[in-house]
Amino acid sequence: MAQMWITMGPQHPMTHGLWTLRVKVDGETVVDTEAELGYIHRGVEKIAESRDFTQITPYCDRLCYVSAMTWANSYIYAAEDLLEVEVPERAEYIRLISAECQRLASHLMWLGAYGPDIGSLTLMTWCMRDREMFLDLLQELGGSRMHYNYPRVGGVKRDIPVGFADRLIAKVKLFEHRIDEYEMMLDESTIWLVRLQGVGYAKAEDMVNAGVSGPNIRAAGVNYDVRWAHPYSVYDQVDWEPAVEKPTSVKGADCYDRYRVRMEEMRQSCRMILDAIEKIPGGKNTNYANGDEMILAKAPTRAPEGASGFSNYECTRGASQFYIQGGGDGRGKNPYRLSIRSPMFITIPYVAKTMIGYKVADIPAIMGSFDPCIGETDR
Amino acid sequence: MGMRITNEQADTAAQSAVSAINDRFGGSDVSATVEHHANAYKMAFVRAQVPPQHWTAVAKYLRFDLGVNYCSMVTGTHYPEGGPERGWEVAYHFMRQPVIDQAPHTNTVHVAEALKGDAIPLEFEIIVTLPQTESPSVPSVQNIWVGADWNEKETWDLVGIQFEGHDNMHRVLNPHDSPEGFHPLQKQHKIRYHDFNEMYDDAQGFGRKPTDEGRVK
Repeated sequence: MAQMWITMGPQHPMTHGLWTLRVKVDGETVVDTEAELGYIHRGVEKIAESRDFTQITPYCDRLCYVSAMTWANSYIYAAEDLLEVEVPERAEYIRLISAECQRLASHLMWLGAYGPDIGSLTLMTWCMRDREMFLDLLQELGGSRMHYNYPRVGGVKRDIPVGFADRLIAKVKLFEHRIDEYEMMLDESTIWLVRLQGVGYAKAEDMVNAGVSGPNIRAAGVNYDVRWAHPYSVYDQVDWEPAVEKPTSVKGADCYDRYRVRMEEMRQSCRMILDAIEKIPGGKNTNYANGDEMILAKAPTRAPEGASGFSNYECTRGASQFYIQGGGDGRGKNPYRLSIRSPMFITIPYVAKTMIGYKVADIPAIMGSFDPCIGETDR
Repeated sequence: MGMRITNEQADTAAQSAVSAINDRFGGSDVSATVEHHANAYKMAFVRAQVPPQHWTAVAKYLRFDLGVNYCSMVTGTHYPEGGPERGWEVAYHFMRQPVIDQAPHTNTVHVAEALKGDAIPLEFEIIVTLPQTESPSVPSVQNIWVGADWNEKETWDLVGIQFEGHDNMHRVLNPHDSPEGFHPLQKQHKIRYHDFNEMYDDAQGFGRKPTDEGRVK
């Protein structure tokens, strides 16, 4: 039979968003692929050039609707590099806790969306149930379920409310047991193992050379995490260790390794949150007023021309980076140029090429295991 | 307990990388310096100014001698008022990640504080400045880092900087049928409401002036 091109997307359950995967098939086997992106390009980088440094935060929330908090934090660290701001330690702890809650919510969203890809609809309902716990917690901080606009240049918008710590601890401890439940359900399911094991191999060296980052390379045995390698926040003061998986084949990590590493990462996030909430300076049940120097430092609003700021941040899908050049607008209140590096923008073209040689039915399993998010990809 | 690369480790690594670059390319216009971030832990990183004619040589040196194995981002910037010497700028961000070829059932477990020499993760910011011209171009490093491939596509698509020798260049974020020569991040293109006051003058905007108009904060 002749080879032919099939277009999967932009509307296809495999895509987890709006993009197109063009697949050349020979019977059931994938022989070539091409990724097409850009369906929801919103031009955030251009818009940011005419906005103040504080006005940009909500746009960064909307870069990725599944992990808004980490993206806003990522931008804030770049702005703080540019404006040379010292952040109070309590604010750094609150940022850590909020980012790790977001990581839990995002990984649950990933697992919930990955389940139906493999054929387990139950998984989605379970994950959505647990994700709601963390969205409730984040809502207490930011006032909204998805787009929080919570971090500020120099700190955070408001302090943790009274009673937040107790609710956080109770929910995280409950969720630690829920992770065991998920593992009991998945690791002993034959369908889950058959669909994931031995599918979608990716080698550590190839992935690093191609620019893949985050859990996807840690699944291949590479202990590289921005949280310790290019440190920010207070990750060196709380109890955790990077989640790294041992791949079982010379061909690298398969989909099962990538699933395992995210489960382990959720455990580590729980561990971090429980430790951080006890160590938070100023006490876990204190509520400082908005703008108090414990949670928000004074920050300049203008950046000199020629100055630049850069942040490297461990987002839920990999290393997100912002590069800001100051001195726009003639007065320095806007960035002259703001550039965003999205981990998924680099990963998706790479993943498309790893599918070559597998069957068409493996495409959703491979693509889903890399956790694509198109909001950040297209910016 | 959590761990992190200490400031001394980053300083040492950045210092040795800078002296290596300056030794190798001394006499040309390549100049590298150790810089420090102003945020969080004030970590050291390497910043280098590289003229476009030496960029390929420097890139190969970084990749194969200094072990810089990770291309993070490529940023193009347009400076229409930057003078004849500086019309465009391409800023590359690279990371050095300590990665070794993986045998099965192993992982590279690091104790961050114990890493030494080239195994210390380090950040590189390479700035290539281009003169004022209608058609800016730099050599492509697509063959040196696979990760530079889509970064360069994006930079050409949005900013309009040509990458000589880039294979399979095409639009990635803009539509495929965008007009030739249309690169939205060039500074002659203004978005609507570029200046916040424009919004108030527009009938489709607020249609009224703010009460504190004229008082610039």
